[in-house]
Amino acid sequence: MAEIRLHDVVKTYGSMYAVDHVSLTVADGEFVALVGPSGCGKTTTLNLIAGLIEQTAGDIFIGERLVNDLDPKDRDIAMVFQNYALYPNKTVFKNLAFPLKMRKMARADIDVKVRAAAKVLDIEHLLERRPRELSGGQQQRVALGRALVRDPRAFLMDEPLSNLDAKLRGQMRAELKRFHQDLNATVVYVTHDQLEAVTMADRMAVMNGGLLQQYDTPARVFDAPVNTFVAGFVGSPAMNLVPAIVVNQGGSFILRGSAGWNFPLSSRNARKAVAASGPGVILGARHSTIALHRTATPDTMPGRIYTVEPTGDITFAHVRVGEANLVVSVTPDVRLAMDDDVWLGFDQNRLHLFDGVTGGAL
Amino acid sequence: MKSRGSRGWGIVRVAFLAVLTLFTLLPMVWMLLTSLKTQFAASQYPPEWWPKNVTFEQYSLLLSPATETGRDFLRYMFNSVWVSLASTVLGVIVAVPAAYAFSRFRFPGRQLLFYSVLLRNMFPAVVFLMPLFILMRWLHLVNTEFSLILTYLTFGLPLSIWLLKGFYDNIPAQLEQAARMDGATRFQAFFQIVMPLSSPGIIATAIYSFILAWNEYLYALVFLNDKSKLTLPVGLQRFFTEYTTNWPGLMAASFITSVPVVVLFLILQKYFVRALTEGAVKA
Ligand SMILES: Nc1ncnc2c1ncn2[C@@H]1O[C@H](COP(=O)(O)OP(=O)(O)OP(=O)(O)O)[C@@H](O)[C@H]1O
Ligand SMILES: [Mg+2]
Repeated sequence: MAEIRLHDVVKTYGSMYAVDHVSLTVADGEFVALVGPSGCGKTTTLNLIAGLIEQTAGDIFIGERLVNDLDPKDRDIAMVFQNYALYPNKTVFKNLAFPLKMRKMARADIDVKVRAAAKVLDIEHLLERRPRELSGGQQQRVALGRALVRDPRAFLMDEPLSNLDAKLRGQMRAELKRFHQDLNATVVYVTHDQLEAVTMADRMAVMNGGLLQQYDTPARVFDAPVNTFVAGFVGSPAMNLVPAIVVNQGGSFILRGSAGWNFPLSSRNARKAVAASGPGVILGARHSTIALHRTATPDTMPGRIYTVEPTGDITFAHVRVGEANLVVSVTPDVRLAMDDDVWLGFDQNRLHLFDGVTGGAL
Repeated sequence: MKSRGSRGWGIVRVAFLAVLTLFTLLPMVWMLLTSLKTQFAASQYPPEWWPKNVTFEQYSLLLSPATETGRDFLRYMFNSVWVSLASTVLGVIVAVPAAYAFSRFRFPGRQLLFYSVLLRNMFPAVVFLMPLFILMRWLHLVNTEFSLILTYLTFGLPLSIWLLKGFYDNIPAQLEQAARMDGATRFQAFFQIVMPLSSPGIIATAIYSFILAWNEYLYALVFLNDKSKLTLPVGLQRFFTEYTTNWPGLMAASFITSVPVVVLFLILQKYFVRALTEGAVKA
């Protein structure tokens, strides 16, 4: 296995930056999840690493080697595609054998390798079938098998689980994680599903509009998003973001919302707030850090229940505060009705402040 | 669909198809029957519907290299096979990469080029007779098989390219990408993965080109004078003028000529349906 290093990589289509000066290092044996909204450049980034498309600028290293000019076949990395891309006219055995055959391995050795990989993935009984005679989960395994039958220097996976149903996805997630640990494999994994990213990845790369927004452990991305985009993208439901202005009231600072609420800031938060490029800031808080009061309480934000979503072990209350809509979680025993008046209390130690202009974390 | 339409419609439909089949099949049957008659029986009036003395005399005459007629006929047949086969093979060699390029690559003038390929099919073949003749004369190809091979190539290519492009459009680019990740070059990815998947299309277009070349009469008549170079359709016409009285002989020759077409068409229609449903619909 090897490290993958992108240095200032750019890919443009016409005047559009599909990948915009991305620098990122995937350590040897690391599992990195690439997340971001549709069209943000995830697949393009993966294809650049694979060598399937050529970068406009920048350098890509695999291990110690600069691979800018290498064909995909010479980069020695394996890829699992979203729709699996199994060869429809070949049996499972031949699908698995293809990468070895291309490497001119002796037939007897191919046989041994293919059977070993099939055994690991529990698809030995399917070797003589063709891809269309397999279920989605089985196809997924074959695709994985084709990637790991040779020992590539790294694995690239483009939403490999997105075509599976929820239950199978959960199961495959566990198997992928296991497989990564057993092989100590370097993996770059594109996904739409944050749960996949959080549960499997050592580090998460969040992209938007071709730009790498944040590259950190899932816990850090969740707890310390670098800007409002990451805050609003990661987590389900996403972080609540409420615009406000900072007001100096005789030496102590408060946040004031356009709906008329006032919220005093602790001295630590006040120091952050005044560092903003203007008076406008954005207050961020995760649903679980907001306290919901049924009666007027000092230093809270008054709002009105919009809807209530019970999910079983947790209930989400959508609360309107002026123009803003916040999601707050409560235990299921809290009885809430539409249009109830509530007061939202924020935990000074767990709230986030972002610059009102740039969106960057303060 | 099934429940709609009464029984009456079903009968009408069957009757209609039966008439149509009869209409197309009857000449074939009559041709075969006549070819099995003696010359005397063939000239009877009212006609002898069913040959009383079945004879294969005409077939053995036509297919035996011992007689002059046989030598001529076999020569024509050989010429036809050679011209049709050559234009078919060349057609596949040109159509496959062309269709692939139209499907996979974005290059300036791609649309224009693609439609200009199809444009050829909008004109009746006769329109190109004189221009092509002049072109062939200029190339010193008149009275050679190559003039026909080249001409038939241009007849078959538009449909072949269009049909195959539909196939390549429907083969996901990811399959090739996967092959390239697995260690194949672009060419290997094409020959080992894409090409086998498009084989129904290649077979369909090959058979189509072959039949087109095999049946062609007009250009063969104009481009070739040398008797030893004639293809079957033109050769047959010579038989008509030279052996006017030998109806069974003519019919036997006609029957032998049409056998490859019928057999190939039976194969073709299966692949053609596949080609159209799997490929060209989305083109
Ligand atoms: N061949 C191409 N020509 C022009 N634009 C392209 C091409 N390929 C991708 N793009 C554009 O580049 C941007 C990034 O595409 P990419 O496929 O990397 O997105 P993605 O993050 O993988 O999205 P998704 O989650 O939907 O798969 C998109 O805006 C897309 O339209
Ligand atoms: Mg994608």
